[in-house]
Amino acid sequence: MRNNFKHKQFAHCESGVVSTLLSNYGLPISEPMAFGITHSLTFFYFPLIKLNNMPLIAYREVPKNIIKNIDKRLGVKIYKKQYKNMTEANNELTRLVKEEKLVGLQTSVYYLPYMPEDMRFHFNAHNLLVYGKKNDEYLISDPVFEDVVRAKENKLTIARFAKGVFAPKGFLYYPETIPKYIDYENILKKSIKKNAKSMTTPFPFAGIKGMRKLAKNIEKIQNNNDERYIKNYLTHIVRMQEEIGTGGGGFRFLYSAFLQEAKEYKLNKQKLHTSSELITKSGDMLREFALKCVMGAKHIDILDSKEIAKYLIEASKIEEEAFKILKTI
Amino acid sequence: MKKINIPQEENSTLDGHKKVMYAPNSSGKFQTFNYGSNIEEYATKLAVKEYEELQQECLENIKNNISSPIEFYMYKNRMDIPTLASIVGFFQFRVKRHLKAKYFNTLNNKVLQKYADVFDITIDNLKDFNNEK
Repeated sequence: MRNNFKHKQFAHCESGVVSTLLSNYGLPISEPMAFGITHSLTFFYFPLIKLNNMPLIAYREVPKNIIKNIDKRLGVKIYKKQYKNMTEANNELTRLVKEEKLVGLQTSVYYLPYMPEDMRFHFNAHNLLVYGKKNDEYLISDPVFEDVVRAKENKLTIARFAKGVFAPKGFLYYPETIPKYIDYENILKKSIKKNAKSMTTPFPFAGIKGMRKLAKNIEKIQNNNDERYIKNYLTHIVRMQEEIGTGGGGFRFLYSAFLQEAKEYKLNKQKLHTSSELITKSGDMLREFALKCVMGAKHIDILDSKEIAKYLIEASKIEEEAFKILKTI
Repeated sequence: MKKINIPQEENSTLDGHKKVMYAPNSSGKFQTFNYGSNIEEYATKLAVKEYEELQQECLENIKNNISSPIEFYMYKNRMDIPTLASIVGFFQFRVKRHLKAKYFNTLNNKVLQKYADVFDITIDNLKDFNNEK
């Protein structure tokens, strides 16, 4: 067990885990930096893929994007392993924590024993840290929880080997080597440009275009007579944004924080400043949008879906402005 | 920097926990803040309630010999057809069929056992289904 381990709460599980892991292995990096350097901000709206009969909507890159890209960007070497055999997975985890190594795991939210009942859904890409083991219990630092938690080995194993989309297959990871020198200026420039490119893509279901596509679809539900569907649809959008996301258009704020931190390096400060403020504004607009969605679901009799969609269109305009600036960084 | 309002509302779905979000502090620098949002609470509760309603409707359909107990347990475990299909390892069209009472009655123990494992129940729970609440 690591005696000096300090738990910290984060806005988002994956960026939180990566931030803590790298910081503990000698490369201090904040959550916004981990998120931004891996160009994780996005918007996706794929009506063809359904989750519980609802369209796929995402406000950030696909799960594991941060873990996959952080080593590429920063030049750190990360040990990553998936398992076929549960015993082998547990033996290796036990051995690692006995060596006082801090390790990251991918798990299913639904099977984590300490997860509140209402928060249990089949989402297979929740990341957490294991920092020790006492008897048959793992000591866990779950980045979205206020304090450390515990889970029995057999229960954690179920969560690590949940099946379905994004099946974790026991996925375990920790940094092996940290580079001596990191050229942040260049890396940041590349990452920001890459993110700006993906947000302004001409592909109609992603980025700014994706936001507008979803807005159009929201306008259309005015003509839908199925009240139950409308209610679930509007709150589904909110859940993808707020809860699977990180609270109140939280990914936008996370990215703004990243741009603010990037000002410490030799990049165009004015551009970073303006775009950071714009994306904060967009995050706030998205929160307003979420509020309107919930109000719409609560009072379907006076639903004005055009009015709701306006907030999303407004947010897309702000982000278009911001990422046009960032493209030229 | 624009000031961001940090909601401090009750959110009962988190069992007393609080999440954090980033927002600019008084000097404009971003940091994490604890928050509680009743917008999130409403959205989560509605999603949970939807599964409960689907279960209730399914019980009615089981009584009328339309739906199978597999459908009931699917909702009870907060799954949809694609999720259940990928966990149990069958094609979706096959799972869809198994949700119907008339196909369910023809299933052999091997298939039933697969579903029972997914739902962490016994075959008898499926075969002699009575709403054991």
